[in-house]
Amino acid sequence: MGNIFVKKPKITDVDRAILSLKTQRRKLAQYQQQLDAVINAEKQAAKDLLREKKKERALLALKKKKVQEELLKQVDTWLINVEQQLADIELTSKQKAVFESLKTGNNAIKAIQSEINLEDVQKLMDDTAEAKAYQDEINEILGEKLSAEDEEEILAEFENLESEMSLQELPEVPAKAPTSEDLEENLDLPDVPTKAPVPLDVVETKARDASSAGIYSAEKVMEEPLPA
Amino acid sequence: MQKLGDFKLPQFFNYPPYFTLQPVKDTREKQIQLWKELILDYCRTQKIFVVELEKDLPLFTNPTIERSLTHEAKDAFLSALVSDGRAEWMDKSHRKCLILWHRIQDWAELILRYVRDNGLEDSVMTLEEICLGTESRGTELHGMDRTVLMRALKLLEHKGKLAIFKGTSTDDEGVKFSV
Repeated sequence: MGNIFVKKPKITDVDRAILSLKTQRRKLAQYQQQLDAVINAEKQAAKDLLREKKKERALLALKKKKVQEELLKQVDTWLINVEQQLADIELTSKQKAVFESLKTGNNAIKAIQSEINLEDVQKLMDDTAEAKAYQDEINEILGEKLSAEDEEEILAEFENLESEMSLQELPEVPAKAPTSEDLEENLDLPDVPTKAPVPLDVVETKARDASSAGIYSAEKVMEEPLPA
Repeated sequence: MQKLGDFKLPQFFNYPPYFTLQPVKDTREKQIQLWKELILDYCRTQKIFVVELEKDLPLFTNPTIERSLTHEAKDAFLSALVSDGRAEWMDKSHRKCLILWHRIQDWAELILRYVRDNGLEDSVMTLEEICLGTESRGTELHGMDRTVLMRALKLLEHKGKLAIFKGTSTDDEGVKFSV
């Protein structure tokens, strides 16, 4: 029933050492109890002997009790030593465990880092910067071209608009062609003369003679002063 | 309610009929049932692991009504416990009975819980320490019967939770946990 290959914890020498120490601890505790019992018995015996007035025997019992008490103190010290060593072993094994896990962690970091070359990273960053600069340049150029094209378009649109608007302002085309009556009314030309023109001095002489008397007299008047 | 030491006895303890094995099947079954529970409870509180039929257990006698269980009655009750799986005969002649008021599985789990609670994983303990040490005082494990302990530990060993080993010849038997 169950697995055959169930993992059992391995028993190391350290474990055996711990087991020994724990056994010792238990045995020492047992010994202590034993000594306690002996001490109490001797005390009781001393009391009894005193009661029986067997002083020397009582003294002997007390001496034995003293010996046992010394032993007890000794065992106490041993017990403390054993406990101390148990604690030390535990601490050391925990230290070792911490050290091992730190080492494993360190190795893991090294392994991962070894996959990334520092030079490769630098090259990658440079390539990225280059690509970005190139992209910016392209954007600039594209930017200029675009505004030139835009201007042309705008101008074209502008002219279109203009022509549209001027077409709207022209007068309306008349509905019929103009007639001849309209034309004649507008003309104020002079009439054609009825006789030919007469020479002009005959007419003028007559006109002069008529008025020369008056003028002659005026001239005569004017001439009189002259002969003096 | 009568008391046996610290243990409170149920009412039926004072009825004489309960001390004689009933012939009628139905009553007998009821009687067996009551006694089974009583035995288990008593052993649990008193930490009794082994019941010897020859010896007198205070439980099996009620002086006030002057009745005590016959050998046959005891046998009947204990056999009922055995068939329930809560007890085991330690020998063929039914003289000693190991009472498992915790099943071996339960004991195993108690041990595991104790180990976990006290941070004893990956540590070594002697068997004495588990039963009688200062650390187990106050837990159910204290004063445990060696046989029961060994059985429980063997079960756990089989599951791979621990390893039983012995150091030098003078050493106690020890267990190393790796829960």
